[in-house]
Amino acid sequence: MKARKSFLVVMVILLIGLLAACGTTAPAEPAATEDTAPAEEAAPTEAPVVEEPSEPVTIEFFYPVAVDAPIAAIIEGYIDAFEVENPHITVEAVFSGGYGDVQTAIMTAIDGGAEPPAMGVMLATALYDLINADAISPVSPSDEYLADVFPAFLDNSRYDGKIWSVPFQRSAVVMYYNADLFEEAGIEPPDSWDSWAAAAQALTVREGAEVIRWGIEYPSGWPYWLFQPLAIGSGQNIVGESDTEVFFDDPDVIEAVQFYIDLSEEYGATPAGVQGIWGQAPTDLATGLTAMIVHSTGSLTGLLDQVDFELGVMPIPGQAAGTFASVPGGGNIYIMKGAPEEKQAAAWLFAEFLSEPERVADFSIQTGYIASLNSSYETDAMKAYLAEVPQAAETKNALQHAGAELMVQNLGEVRNIFHDYLQRAYNGEMTPEEAMAAAQAEAEAALEIFK
Amino acid sequence: MQRSQTRKSSLPYLLILPTLFFVAIFTIWPTINSFYMSFFRQRLNLARFRDPTFVGIENFANLFSDPRFIQVLKNTIIYVLGTVPLAIFLAFLFAFLVNQRIRGVGLSRLSFFHPSILPMVSAATIWMFFLTPDYGIFNEALNFLGYRGPQNWTANPDLALISIMIVALWKNAGYYMIFYLAGMQNLPTEVFEAATLDGASTWQKLRYVTFPLLRGTTLFITTIAIIGAFQTVDQIFVLTQGGPSGASTTLLYYLWQVRFEFQDVGKASAITVVLIVLLLLFTVTNFVLSERGED
Repeated sequence: MKARKSFLVVMVILLIGLLAACGTTAPAEPAATEDTAPAEEAAPTEAPVVEEPSEPVTIEFFYPVAVDAPIAAIIEGYIDAFEVENPHITVEAVFSGGYGDVQTAIMTAIDGGAEPPAMGVMLATALYDLINADAISPVSPSDEYLADVFPAFLDNSRYDGKIWSVPFQRSAVVMYYNADLFEEAGIEPPDSWDSWAAAAQALTVREGAEVIRWGIEYPSGWPYWLFQPLAIGSGQNIVGESDTEVFFDDPDVIEAVQFYIDLSEEYGATPAGVQGIWGQAPTDLATGLTAMIVHSTGSLTGLLDQVDFELGVMPIPGQAAGTFASVPGGGNIYIMKGAPEEKQAAAWLFAEFLSEPERVADFSIQTGYIASLNSSYETDAMKAYLAEVPQAAETKNALQHAGAELMVQNLGEVRNIFHDYLQRAYNGEMTPEEAMAAAQAEAEAALEIFK
Repeated sequence: MQRSQTRKSSLPYLLILPTLFFVAIFTIWPTINSFYMSFFRQRLNLARFRDPTFVGIENFANLFSDPRFIQVLKNTIIYVLGTVPLAIFLAFLFAFLVNQRIRGVGLSRLSFFHPSILPMVSAATIWMFFLTPDYGIFNEALNFLGYRGPQNWTANPDLALISIMIVALWKNAGYYMIFYLAGMQNLPTEVFEAATLDGASTWQKLRYVTFPLLRGTTLFITTIAIIGAFQTVDQIFVLTQGGPSGASTTLLYYLWQVRFEFQDVGKASAITVVLIVLLLLFTVTNFVLSERGED
């Protein structure tokens, strides 16, 4: 009996210990969303006074890392400089994974009733999802800024006569090529689909059945983005002015799908079927396993570190001779509506700070992203950089040929439908006509309730 | 006497109370909530459907008339039936091998077990390099063995799901091996001595002594393996993103897509319900079959 009693006592103590432990973990449980709700610790004083600029305010800045560059260190550097200029504002940078993870984290916080971070970097094309979820506030950049920014980068920011985000880490689709191989073979950089395919075929090297070097590698594991320049170059982008219309089954788009397939089937110049090699393609170019790759401008800095040959950068050749195409991509800064107003104001201050021409130039130089402002290219730092790395100017030039990135209502589902059928066509499970007709029909059904 | 009786019956409940508390909050409540929400239409990316509307079984009707979902179900069943029995067979084999008194047994145990201490994302990243077309080590090895088929494992519609399964096998077999190994080392030696005296071969001992005695272990491993298989999602994110054309999309990955990419809460809840029902079906069947074998 006594033994049992002491056993019970021990168990009760353990139980209390456990509950106490729960007590400490329970408030930490919102730890998953803790990043999003620093309100308590940040603002110990009640009643925030907006007019009083010295009132300390802490904001969170959610950002993804999508390229091979020390983004975290760079951002911390900017924050330090910003906090010196604005001593009453503290910015906490929160690395949150990829673009999708940032959006998921913020949306989950909002769904759960927590306070979202004041600002986040999300895909420029996330606009409709964020507006429909009532998650973001419009912003008001200065006229000076609006006159300065590249229009292609603001395409995905406008809705309902307002501007909802500002470009931050922006990229575009380009082609990288091994210029030494082109010179050895006496081939000019291509300026049409025909000359492109011919160059790819000529630069492919086989030993028996084994391929020693591909003419081109064209990743298509998550394919819409890299595909879009083909469609634009063919004469019809897959997306137009309307936010509920797509052009998947347009004859020009089908031709573009066929051209991708022909690069393998007709010219034998690229691996057959879907190429799930996004991460591997730059290395393959650097190590001579392929003569050209289609990739993001964000890979430029990494590639320049790796290559021991003359690296060429150019927009994607179009179907007609002398035409080129590209498509912008990357992330913008959004201000979250759910944050208290004084935090939104502080966040916008920081967004403007990040959008100053010198800082935009510096971010571009350090990461390889395209500077989004004309004036950034007039800065001394950028001029010096371009003198050293002329390829960086090419990434900017590609923008002149850019069409709009795929952005419609219900983007996640429509994009998934397009990926499905585009890959079926690439893998030969359906003809391009069948695949694109099916994609169009399903996408229209998915967009119906959004009209 | 009376008092001690009461204490006896209330003590166990007291002891599981903390666990119950957490299970209730983090498992039972979300489950009930998913069941409830699966009868509503709620789309977070469409202003007029942001507030839930009751739609009856519409979400389920839509799901089961959607060829994409049927494909997802098929993929999931193939994945479970393809990985679970094979992983358990390999686990048993490995455990039997490393339970022998032979030289270098520590190294073998380590090499069979080490994949399971890696996080799945790391394992999948390693396999991303193994599976690289042309020069990936997996393709090199297959080439050496005379394989001449397609090498783009993660982008080929016939191979993508298989490559996901290979990673799971590689990672899990060693983990399940540990349970078998522990079981084998706890088996009474007298039984084996008796069997040896009776002139039983190694195979006979394995078949008629070891395996039946480890039935409990097998039941345990099968259960956690089935649950684990349904919960697999990490390597899909790393290797295939569910592609090409959904060929490697399993239920949980699809659930994530529908909830976070398509922002369709109602449909995601319906998928959750299907997932839970399937899981119950598999584990209960497994349990019943093993219990029956017990007699």
